[in-house]
Amino acid sequence: MTDKKTTHFGYEQVAVEEKAGRVADVFHSVAAKYDVMNDLMSAGVHRLWKRFTIELSGVRPGNKVLDIAGGTGDLSYKFSKLVGADGLVVLADINDSMLKVGRDRLLDRGVAGNLVVSQADAQYLPYEDNTFDCITIAFGLRNVTDKDLALRSMLRVLKPGGRLLVLEFSKPQSSVLEKVYDAYSFKVLPLIGKAITQDADSYRYLAESIRMHPDQQTLKDMMTDAGFAETKFYNMTGGIVALHKGVKP
Amino acid sequence: MSDNTEQGRTIDPTLSTAALAGLEATINKALQYDPGTRAALKKLQGQVLAVQSTAPAFTFYLQTCDDDLEVLRLFSDHGQQCSPSTHLRGPLTAIATLAVTDNTTLANSGVEVMGSTALLSDLQKALGQVDIDWEDALNQLLGELPGHQTAEHIRKVARWTQQRASSGQRLLSEFLTEELKSLPSKPELKRFYNAVDDARMQLDRLEQKLEKAIKKIQPGNLNSD
Repeated sequence: MTDKKTTHFGYEQVAVEEKAGRVADVFHSVAAKYDVMNDLMSAGVHRLWKRFTIELSGVRPGNKVLDIAGGTGDLSYKFSKLVGADGLVVLADINDSMLKVGRDRLLDRGVAGNLVVSQADAQYLPYEDNTFDCITIAFGLRNVTDKDLALRSMLRVLKPGGRLLVLEFSKPQSSVLEKVYDAYSFKVLPLIGKAITQDADSYRYLAESIRMHPDQQTLKDMMTDAGFAETKFYNMTGGIVALHKGVKP
Repeated sequence: MSDNTEQGRTIDPTLSTAALAGLEATINKALQYDPGTRAALKKLQGQVLAVQSTAPAFTFYLQTCDDDLEVLRLFSDHGQQCSPSTHLRGPLTAIATLAVTDNTTLANSGVEVMGSTALLSDLQKALGQVDIDWEDALNQLLGELPGHQTAEHIRKVARWTQQRASSGQRLLSEFLTEELKSLPSKPELKRFYNAVDDARMQLDRLEQKLEKAIKKIQPGNLNSD
């Protein structure tokens, strides 16, 4: 009998080395229609969650920002305007399909000069220590195999005083909302996914991966354990989404 | 910066962010058809106005980005590289009144201002001179010819309504004063006010004379004259 280490992929247990490939397949499948699906699934509310993240980031002209799991570049677009010509935004994603969509979209919107596109694994960030003023990871951490390793990697590349913002699905704060949300996630979401991307399984994974992700307090504790100071979280839309913030001491 | 942690307020950031995003979109949509105000706002880039409403209690921040106006719920000043240039504090109704009137003083307005008043004055001036080119908006929606025709029609209707409103007011006023005699006419009112003013001035003079006379007849003053 083999003694392989396993992790979760949605509700399924898979070998640790297998998860990244399975997640990659999901995102290769949905990349082209990712934005349309985000708007449909959240009724456009994901724009408000991201807007709040940008406001809390406090990014200023001249700052260096790392947008991990930046996907189609929603946050990077706004950050590139905020940092100006003297700043730098690194749009990073492990998935090249998502990165290509993001890069093309940003180029089409006229973003150039202060933006770099980088294929990178959040667990092993290929940047020097103390590089960034701010790191964001929006709807990406739950797909990372070893979240603790990723948080420590982010801490390493942040400058002292730099901020990490983790925007992620979380646990609804009311039991009624949780029931409605469960029904929506497991019954409606795969149907929308099937209709738009012809891929119900990817959206079933999305719902399952959200349930397997640590809740607000657990993630806050994980950030503190990784070495972040002043950790706090902001519940949004009744806790369906939470924004965690930590500062590198 | 407002704090909304797990220990903090109960307002969901999604709601407040939605409200301010809606306000911002409305302002910028209107400014889209007013290039003059947009150019004036561009000159204020880098300056931030903090608006703190005491009733209901909430704070938001106004800043210009290119030639758009941004309405932010949070303003982080990490490293204290920048902070709001001007801080406005008072009840929301008083702040809103200030925004829509062209008052040049904050006295008795119920609004306190901290920091630079120049930004406040510049913003009030820029937003007070908003002159939206509705015809351009219609042109973009309907095309140039139908847009122009529609705008002409709207202008005609507006002129007609304005004229009817003004003549209606005059006719009503004449009916009440001349026909029904239930209200005094303007010249009668003017004469009445003048008579009241004269009477008040005469009374003031009489009061002064009396005071002088009383002082004269007081025991200590009898020998001094």
